[in-house]
Amino acid sequence: MKKIELIAPLTESKKIIELLQRRGLIELEKIQDDELIRMDTRSCINQFEKNREAAQRALVILNERTHMKQSMLDQFSGKREYERHAFGEKTTILENTLQVCGDILENERNIEELKNKISHISVRTDELRKWEALDIPPDFEGTKSTACFIGTVNNRKNLEYITEELKDIAYIETVSAVKEQTNIVVMCHNNDKAETVSVLRHGGFARIGEANGDSVKAVIEKNEAEIQQLRNKIEEYNQDTVSKENERENIEFVIDYLSIRCDKYNALNDLAMTKTTFMLTGFIPEKYSLKLVDELERRFTVAINLTDPTEDEDVPVLLENSKFSAPVEGITEMYALPGKRDVDPTSVMSFFYYLFFGMMLSDAGYGVVMVIVTTIALKKLKLEEKMQKTLRMFQYSGISTIFWGALFGSWFGDLPQTVAKQFFGREIGSLALWFEPLEDPIKLLVFSFGLGILHLFWGLAVNFRILWKEGKKADAIFDVIPIYMAVLGVAPLAAGILISVPDVLKHIGKYLAIVGAVLIVLTSGRSSKNILARFAGGLYGLYNTATGYLSDILSYSRLLALGLATGSIASVINLIGTMPGNMVIKAIMFTVVFLVGHTANIAINLLGAYVHTDRLQFVELFSKFYEGGGRKFEPLRVNTKYIKFTEEK
Amino acid sequence: MSNLGLALAIFGAAIAALFSGVGSAKGVGIVGQAAAGVVSVDPSKFSKVLILQLLPGTQGLYGLLTAVLLLNRVGVIGGTPAGLTVSQGLMFLAAGLPMGIVGLFSAIAQGKAAAAGVGIVAKKPEQSGKGIIMAAMVETYAILALLISILIIYNIAV
Repeated sequence: MKKIELIAPLTESKKIIELLQRRGLIELEKIQDDELIRMDTRSCINQFEKNREAAQRALVILNERTHMKQSMLDQFSGKREYERHAFGEKTTILENTLQVCGDILENERNIEELKNKISHISVRTDELRKWEALDIPPDFEGTKSTACFIGTVNNRKNLEYITEELKDIAYIETVSAVKEQTNIVVMCHNNDKAETVSVLRHGGFARIGEANGDSVKAVIEKNEAEIQQLRNKIEEYNQDTVSKENERENIEFVIDYLSIRCDKYNALNDLAMTKTTFMLTGFIPEKYSLKLVDELERRFTVAINLTDPTEDEDVPVLLENSKFSAPVEGITEMYALPGKRDVDPTSVMSFFYYLFFGMMLSDAGYGVVMVIVTTIALKKLKLEEKMQKTLRMFQYSGISTIFWGALFGSWFGDLPQTVAKQFFGREIGSLALWFEPLEDPIKLLVFSFGLGILHLFWGLAVNFRILWKEGKKADAIFDVIPIYMAVLGVAPLAAGILISVPDVLKHIGKYLAIVGAVLIVLTSGRSSKNILARFAGGLYGLYNTATGYLSDILSYSRLLALGLATGSIASVINLIGTMPGNMVIKAIMFTVVFLVGHTANIAINLLGAYVHTDRLQFVELFSKFYEGGGRKFEPLRVNTKYIKFTEEK
Repeated sequence: MSNLGLALAIFGAAIAALFSGVGSAKGVGIVGQAAAGVVSVDPSKFSKVLILQLLPGTQGLYGLLTAVLLLNRVGVIGGTPAGLTVSQGLMFLAAGLPMGIVGLFSAIAQGKAAAAGVGIVAKKPEQSGKGIIMAAMVETYAILALLISILIIYNIAV
């Protein structure tokens, strides 16, 4: 990573920033210098962001209304490509498209309002439905000599009270009753009106609200007609929004276009200026630096200064690896980017990553599927770089899976054997080039531990190199060599529990282990001055080493466990598929079970192999030498979601 | 009663598969609940939470593995069932216990840790690798139990 300083005439600032954005190679740094003026672009940025947000909301609404489904596959379909000059023409649509977005949002607001109205009317209508049996207008108040009260009583006790008190002077009819609410009509002679009113009031009687002379039925019908009308209106607005479907591409374009401008203006904010020049500083990956400097000098009047960043600067990290290792960069990124004193762990783990992944999946048939699918995807689809790397990782892991599957004789579990036996009546033996794990799981377990020890030693070796380079040669030797001796010494003794180990090895192992342990006790407390504290620290170090490495090594038993699980489940699938007796039914059943079962098994075990390979790298390997804590290199670039530039040729 | 030894051995295999399977089901369920909440807000985080949800599932696999190895050792799978004495049968029964019991509890504990990890995915997606590691720590003990179970299985004289 190099530090770049650039000074150029102010008139060219926008053009230069635009070029840098398209190349996407420089991470800008804000210049802190009070002598210089800075550009204030915040109001522009605010305007862009406001518009972009409106466009984004409009797009969400449009997609919803037109039932655009965002599927998982969309991220594989790539972005629309525009050439530079076509892009320039396209920017003229900005005003127009923003207007369309505004229309869509306006439609949405109207629809929301109408929906509120509808629900309001619906509530009122529902209330009225309880009065549907009433054949007089709800505001009917009586004839010449009678008084009429139409309304609701809320409580059974009140109802009983009213019925009891009025039974001699008034006629009461129940129109409808729901739970505690009873709707009644009360009629009485005009002479008894005063008393009836008082009783009703006392009984909590509430008159019905509707009052316009129409019958209940008529009011309900009118309300329903109104609701229908409002619904039609909503539909109209909806149609209007849907009719803008062909604007979707433009809206997506505008969203990206505004994002690009936002980033650009944010970058302008980081510049510092004098009256006639501007200055920018930033970081640029070394391997691109000369080419970019050359291009800038060719096109513009600029003065550029490349320097190595100083110790205390916050330098961002860009992972750069060989073709073989680059696919697992994503795994490193998931853990943490390398900090100041770290080496990039990507190339350290890449070989083991593929190796372990293949061993955990360990089915040659599944490996072939992985390789075919990833190869086709990489060939046919226009993918982002990150996605390409991930697929490439699965491709390499797939090759490793074929390797291990062939060694263990697993092709879609025991598919060849099952088919030969069930359909052709022939017994074929094991296809394993090495041995079948189920025949001798202990052998494979010991082998897994062996690979684990190799993996751990590899991590320790890297640590040795880092310490040695830093000049801490004593630390390098004392932190690594005794552990090598102790682990190598204990290994044959422990393996002896599981398999037969030559006595010579056990003898050598015993002494090696003792020497290693003594060295650990003597050296791991070396940081403290007090002799007793040193000894205690040494014992503690021995305890830590013993428990730590024991659990680390045992952890590699998952290589065996996950591999066995894949194979066992695959074989069970084949077994189920061949259960029927009739040959034709058997063939059909077998095809169906094969496709469904193995697809599910691949999916589950692929995920398992991925997670557990990651874990072996993160917990077992990285803990030996890696700290992390670096900051990701975030260059000023064209950061888009839907579109992509192609440079003119 | 002549097969009581074999019956006990099969019982041991059943315990290993049974309890660790129950634990994994529970653990995966716990994470699933938390994960669904995150996905309902941001569906793009599905793949990240799926990895976390899978973590407590391995105990079930180890239980399966223990059971298969045990059944293989006593000849129920891939051979003729061995005539076991009652004490041998009890030994195989004992062999199934570590994986079964540790599998049960560690899967649930791991499920809780992973569910907390789902919170990291929700709030700081770029740090989700750490959530995976914390949850994976719990698994160490399941692996130790698996190892002991396997050691016992292969060191019983038949």
